[in-house]
Amino acid sequence: MGVLRVNGQDKEFAAEKFPLTVAALLGELGVEAATVVAEVDGQIVEREKFTATELRNGQRIELVRFVPGG
Amino acid sequence: MTEKVKRATVGIAGLGGLGSNVAIALARTDIGKLIIVDFDDVEQSNLNRQQYFFDQIGKAKVDCMIENLRRINPDVKVEGHKVRLDAENVPEIFAGADVIAECFDTAEAKQMIVEAVLSRMDVPIVSASGLAGYGNSNAIHTRRISSRLVLVGDGESGIDSVKLLTAARVGIAAMHQANAIIELIVDGIKV
Repeated sequence: MGVLRVNGQDKEFAAEKFPLTVAALLGELGVEAATVVAEVDGQIVEREKFTATELRNGQRIELVRFVPGG
Repeated sequence: MTEKVKRATVGIAGLGGLGSNVAIALARTDIGKLIIVDFDDVEQSNLNRQQYFFDQIGKAKVDCMIENLRRINPDVKVEGHKVRLDAENVPEIFAGADVIAECFDTAEAKQMIVEAVLSRMDVPIVSASGLAGYGNSNAIHTRRISSRLVLVGDGESGIDSVKLLTAARVGIAAMHQANAIIELIVDGIKV
């Protein structure tokens, strides 16, 4: 089992889910990638790298999902 | 506070309900320079929340905002760009800015500029998400996501679900943005 701290909350994932990519994490959470900015341990991960970026147990992930209006 | 604000340059991406209000608040605070960007013209439907006048309908928002800002505070330097921002031109157009305000309307454009500023520049960005509808003023808050990203809004009220934008609630979010920008300029980026 692995734990990721997503937006300040610990989320557990079965060991076989790892290596879990940012794209796969968004899939697990049901979030549309086109409207998300992701930071892993305080570093921005560009959207085009979501499928290539693997997350490790214990990492801190901030996902900011934008909604329209301005 | 005043001297730091007078020396600062702020980039404003989008001059709609958020951007037009942020620009005016910063001009009244005697900001040194604004770099304002929008590709659109003023439409009558904008006047329910955006800081333009009836006689400006049909003109470029950038030109109208330059005129309005000059009438409010002629000491503020204003550089206007009538272009569509993308990940490539963001660093060029906002070169020299100390802080950037994300004031777009679509979720995809908000995503694009926040990602571009965080990955391609070294200045902070103050973004807004979740400000549609009316009432529930206190659900709109300012959060520091990370050292260079400040996020304003309730996080969920989009124009896609709540089919209404009002001067009051968009204005609350815009003033949160302007206030966060002043705080970043005066107190610096706290890690």
